[in-house]
Amino acid sequence: MIKTSALYKTYNGRSRHEVHAIHNVTLEISKNSFVVFNGPSGSGKTTLLNIIGTLDRPTEGKVFIQGNDITSFSDIALSMLRREKFGFIFQDFHLIPRLTSWENVSYPLIPLGVSRKDREERAKALLEKVELGDRLDHTPEELSGGQQQRVAIARALVNNPEIIIADEPTSNIDDETRERVLEFLKALRYSGTTILVATHDTSFEKIADVVYKMKNGRIV
Amino acid sequence: MNKHLNLLFLATENLLRHRTKTIVVGLCIIAILSPFITAIAISEGIRAQSLASVNAGADLYLTFDEFGRNAAIPLKYLDEVKKIFGVTKAIPRIIGRAFVQNKLAVIVGVNKEDLPESISCISGRTFENPNEVVVGCELAEHFRLRINDQFSMRGQQRKTFTVVGFFSSDSSIWGSSMILMSFKDAGELFGKQDVATDIQIHTLPGHNSEIATDLYDIFQNEPYRLQDKHTVELYFKKGFMLKEGIFSALYLVALSLGVPAIMVASGFGLSERKKEIGIMKATGWHTLEVLELISLEQLLISLLGATVAILLSILWVKGFNGAFIAQFFVAEITLLPKFTLPARFLPLPCMLSFFFSFILTMAGSIYSSWRASTESPVVSMK
Repeated sequence: MIKTSALYKTYNGRSRHEVHAIHNVTLEISKNSFVVFNGPSGSGKTTLLNIIGTLDRPTEGKVFIQGNDITSFSDIALSMLRREKFGFIFQDFHLIPRLTSWENVSYPLIPLGVSRKDREERAKALLEKVELGDRLDHTPEELSGGQQQRVAIARALVNNPEIIIADEPTSNIDDETRERVLEFLKALRYSGTTILVATHDTSFEKIADVVYKMKNGRIV
Repeated sequence: MNKHLNLLFLATENLLRHRTKTIVVGLCIIAILSPFITAIAISEGIRAQSLASVNAGADLYLTFDEFGRNAAIPLKYLDEVKKIFGVTKAIPRIIGRAFVQNKLAVIVGVNKEDLPESISCISGRTFENPNEVVVGCELAEHFRLRINDQFSMRGQQRKTFTVVGFFSSDSSIWGSSMILMSFKDAGELFGKQDVATDIQIHTLPGHNSEIATDLYDIFQNEPYRLQDKHTVELYFKKGFMLKEGIFSALYLVALSLGVPAIMVASGFGLSERKKEIGIMKATGWHTLEVLELISLEQLLISLLGATVAILLSILWVKGFNGAFIAQFFVAEITLLPKFTLPARFLPLPCMLSFFFSFILTMAGSIYSSWRASTESPVVSMK
């Protein structure tokens, strides 16, 4: 389903501060698999997930999603791909501060022309699924870190994505919520979603199909 | 269609969510546009009124020429002018200026039967006997004059007059500080007998050039000046353009201070917005959809700002009679005009105001939004 070929990502290229965040990464991820990228901070796992998730472009190399080379895609084509196939869970949640929980969850549906009523219903259903049915009208600042992460998970699922990309999904939340997130992702995996997680939380390794260890931008 | 409606609703909600920014940008737009719309309305009102006066006036204006300027014309020519074929009426006038205490008034001396139709007494009557005058409403109010009050004026000599009436004029800006008296009284006041400042000539249609030829024969070697309606109209326009020019210069200074303010205000919360755009892009929004949302927000705030600015301008002119701004367009009036200021609100300046505010707000936000939406979402979200 996902394939990378000789992937490189370099920051500050050709300067004294040149950083090779990704160095010659080639891998293949099959459909419905649960893949964990493990490694210390700065090992390049977030950068790799950003490139696979089309949030960033590689300096060199190719990324194939369902056989299509997405590195040659235009900005609009990449947006379409994200809209149709990807759901993102970020370490810092990345919720829009002034919006309520249900508005944050339904935000990706606005440009799809989904009516306000339908958006609210879909967001409500997802928030109930992540046990936040009683926090529909709360803004992010009125929620704890764990609750914000669950809102972010609900947002990641609102477009029924084929691939979920989770970058350090448990690093900013308490233990109890961590367990819930873990269970939730486990359940998603059995519903046919491909899940890619970047983490240094070893508990993910127990439920993963494949674990890639990363160090200095390479898979080791 | 649903997508665009969704974006429109979201734009409205965003303006309400970012209330402070919306209010600041709106106030900037109002502060910039209100004086502009008011000024245009007053200018258009005065222009319309002056053109109406010219159209209602004589077809030709005859004076003598001295050093390239209008000079008094001897009345001995009046009968000859009246006899020219095509002339229906020739009206001698004396127009001058004299102080009533410390206020400069426009003195118009004309025979009672030649008073223009546009002038009507709002109280009292027109002058009939020597030393009787009819006074314009602003002057009357300023000096709290009543019928039968007496006052004196000094021209070439001091003369005492009795107020017998007050008049209003279709041309409020000129009529308000005017004093009407008989031609003879005006001649005595200015110490000029047997001359008029000009002779108004009313003609049959299409006879002006023949009349001009006849006048040339009459005056032979005398330096005279003949002006038709079109020339007078040009003088009016030229005068207003000069006044408008002074206003425009001052407005330009204000605008040059206001534009950066509005652009800065439009860019408030830029880092928060950049992050929001990054999230939007990450969750599948296209660059065009992001820009459409931003443009709709600017469109709504411009529409709101321009509408309030237009309403305030109407209030400024109709409610406060163009206070503090009228003096840019009408000479020698106070900060608070005492006569009804003419004003016309035309659709074009209002539309232009809206476009202007739209362009201003767009200039403050569209480039940064475009930059944020074309960058990688990862960069924008940082």
